[in-house]
Amino acid sequence: MDASENGATAPEKHDEGESFTKVKSKKSQKRKLEPDGGTTMEVEQPNKRPHFPPISADKLRGSDEMRKVAVPAHRYTPLKENWLKIFTPIVENLQLQVRFNLKTRNVEIKTCKETQDIAALTKAADFVKAFVLGFQVDDAMALIRLDELFLESFDVTDVKPLKGDHLSRAIGRIAGKGGKTKFTIENVTKTRIVLADTKIHILGSFQNIKMARTAICNLILGSPPSKVYGNIRAVASRTAERF
Amino acid sequence: MIEKDRDPNNTNSSIEKLKGSDNYSEDDSDIDFDVNALEKQKKDKGKTGSKKKVVPSEVDDKFFKLSEMETFLDDIEKREGKEDDNEDELDYFRDLPSDEDDEINLDEVMSSKKKKTGKSSRDLKYKDFFDAVDNEPDEQQSDGDDDHMDDSQEEDGEEIDGEDDTEEEGDDDRSKASKKKVTFDLSENEDSEGEDIEEILKTPSPEKTELKSSFEKRQEKMSQKIEELENAALAEKPWQLLGEVTAQTRPENSMLEEDVEFEQASRAAPAITEETTLQLEDIIKQRIKDQAFDDVVRKEKPKEEVFEYKKRLTLDHEKSKQSLAEIYEQEYIKQTQKNTEKEENPAHVEIQKLMDTLFLKLDALSNFHFTPKPPVPEVKVMSNLPSITMEEVAPVSTSDATLLAPEEIKDKNKAGDILGDIERTKTDKKRERRHIKKVKRLKIKEKEKRQKVKEANKTGESKKISKTEVAENLRKVTKGGKATILKDEGKDKALRSSQAFFSQLQDQVKSQIKSTKERSEKKKKHIEVSVSKLKL
Repeated sequence: MDASENGATAPEKHDEGESFTKVKSKKSQKRKLEPDGGTTMEVEQPNKRPHFPPISADKLRGSDEMRKVAVPAHRYTPLKENWLKIFTPIVENLQLQVRFNLKTRNVEIKTCKETQDIAALTKAADFVKAFVLGFQVDDAMALIRLDELFLESFDVTDVKPLKGDHLSRAIGRIAGKGGKTKFTIENVTKTRIVLADTKIHILGSFQNIKMARTAICNLILGSPPSKVYGNIRAVASRTAERF
Repeated sequence: MIEKDRDPNNTNSSIEKLKGSDNYSEDDSDIDFDVNALEKQKKDKGKTGSKKKVVPSEVDDKFFKLSEMETFLDDIEKREGKEDDNEDELDYFRDLPSDEDDEINLDEVMSSKKKKTGKSSRDLKYKDFFDAVDNEPDEQQSDGDDDHMDDSQEEDGEEIDGEDDTEEEGDDDRSKASKKKVTFDLSENEDSEGEDIEEILKTPSPEKTELKSSFEKRQEKMSQKIEELENAALAEKPWQLLGEVTAQTRPENSMLEEDVEFEQASRAAPAITEETTLQLEDIIKQRIKDQAFDDVVRKEKPKEEVFEYKKRLTLDHEKSKQSLAEIYEQEYIKQTQKNTEKEENPAHVEIQKLMDTLFLKLDALSNFHFTPKPPVPEVKVMSNLPSITMEEVAPVSTSDATLLAPEEIKDKNKAGDILGDIERTKTDKKRERRHIKKVKRLKIKEKEKRQKVKEANKTGESKKISKTEVAENLRKVTKGGKATILKDEGKDKALRSSQAFFSQLQDQVKSQIKSTKERSEKKKKHIEVSVSKLKL
């Protein structure tokens, strides 16, 4: 644009001498202003960078991002019951928009104008996903509050290929009588465990997830619970001493 | 001796000659050879003319005559044994064979010489053929050249020197003849005779030292080099290149002269030089000055406090009351609180304490009705002990020792409760027995091992068994009932003589027989009774 303008002005100036009317170009005016003003605008260099004025934050936002979390049928009712507790922190603390799409049975989370932190969307999505997997709302809330918590899932048959009765027994070993073993592991390693048929989900920090996973794998492979307690206790005390 | 053609003429002639005349011919047959006659001839040493008799054979051709060859060979053989008494006779007016002569034949030469001398083949000596050592080169130059050329052509066929063409041709002609000469000898004759001839003919002829072109010189050097290389390639490889070489296959101490390269997996030991020792000493001195010693710190077993043990015990088997978020919250608060605690200035705390005491005293003095302020806890106790230790209700006079449960003092036995003798069941007793037996078995095995090692070390010193060992062995053997000690209970004297022994043996046998007889008699008696009864 500048080049064309320059090209346009140049022949005009030449034509001045040939009894044409003098047309004052904006360029020449501005050039005069320069020495008067004293401020050299770098933008005004001939055939150089375009000029972009500073934009307001609204325009910078871009489009809204959205996340969807599918809800299986058996979690439908608990979702309904805990809906208030779920959406409150998302909306108030993270400033996101959330709704449950009844037709597709998805929880949809969307950013909006008020969202300050774009990472909040991921946190919210993880939070809802954790709840859908089977964790309690309070436990899943920790995902929003702490950055370094993670969620790990694996299958019992991943550890050892078991079938039929053996599989059932392995699951029983993990759970313990009245959930005793599972709670013990949760307490010692400061994690939360969800035992859904053959799938196992662990929520916690990285080191703790590792500890819990080792304990559960040992149980699957056949160690008695007392031995597993001893091991996790030793490991946990060691890690506690370090910090 | 080589067999000759048996020719009746020859033999007859030879016999005649031997018998009669002093003329000796070349064709001396072996069969009719008479030693006495020869010796006579030797003494006489007459110069006789020799006839050259050529007997035709199948192999003969234009150049070669078998009979001539044989005669020549015989002569040479005899010459080796004989001394040379004949003077060197040279016919100075004889025509030497010229270069252009094609038909130069050893035989001809020899025959010419022989003709001239008129000696028999037996009496021909070296000097008949060759001059004295000094004059050799001159006379035999031509022949020598032939051979030299021949050899050079044989070995380096491609290398035809840049000599004159005429010379070459001449040489070729000569070489052909000489080749024939030499090959004739080599091929027909596998004895050393052929080689001798070659050696004789191949006199050390000087090369043309006159003027050689630079190209010639270069060529010579090249040829020499090539010769060397070829010889090296053909020859046996030195032991260094022969792959696996043992000490027997290489010369003695040859490895010492070799610079051998090999890789070492381990680090080489540090070379101790004066410099290194000085460096070390410097380091040591510096360390002493700095008092920076590498002393070993004594390891101490960590003694467990009581409350630590109690902490260890708690394993909550129930669902935790706090949610995960709360747990992490509390942890975080704990961490932050720790930091805030340390931030309190100890100086301020002290000042506050002093001020409080001062003001309390002043108040007490100034006010008549003084009511002291309620005591403010001066010390802020923030204990990280588990609440159970704080809440424990115990009398004042108790100490930790009395408070501790037995498990806290000493860990429980892995095997479980300790049982008394009466409390043990059958399985427990058996278990104990088995354990004892196992332990004992191991001990015995250890002992045996040690014994073996001892004996192995002892070999060579003294293999005599001591009294104690003898007694031990005896006891072992008799204990198991495998063997019994023969005790001579007063029968010593009796058994000293063989007669006594055999008489005793006889007695024993007799007694045995008696006993059996009695038994059989008893049986018979029984039978008799029954029989008699029956009969009756």
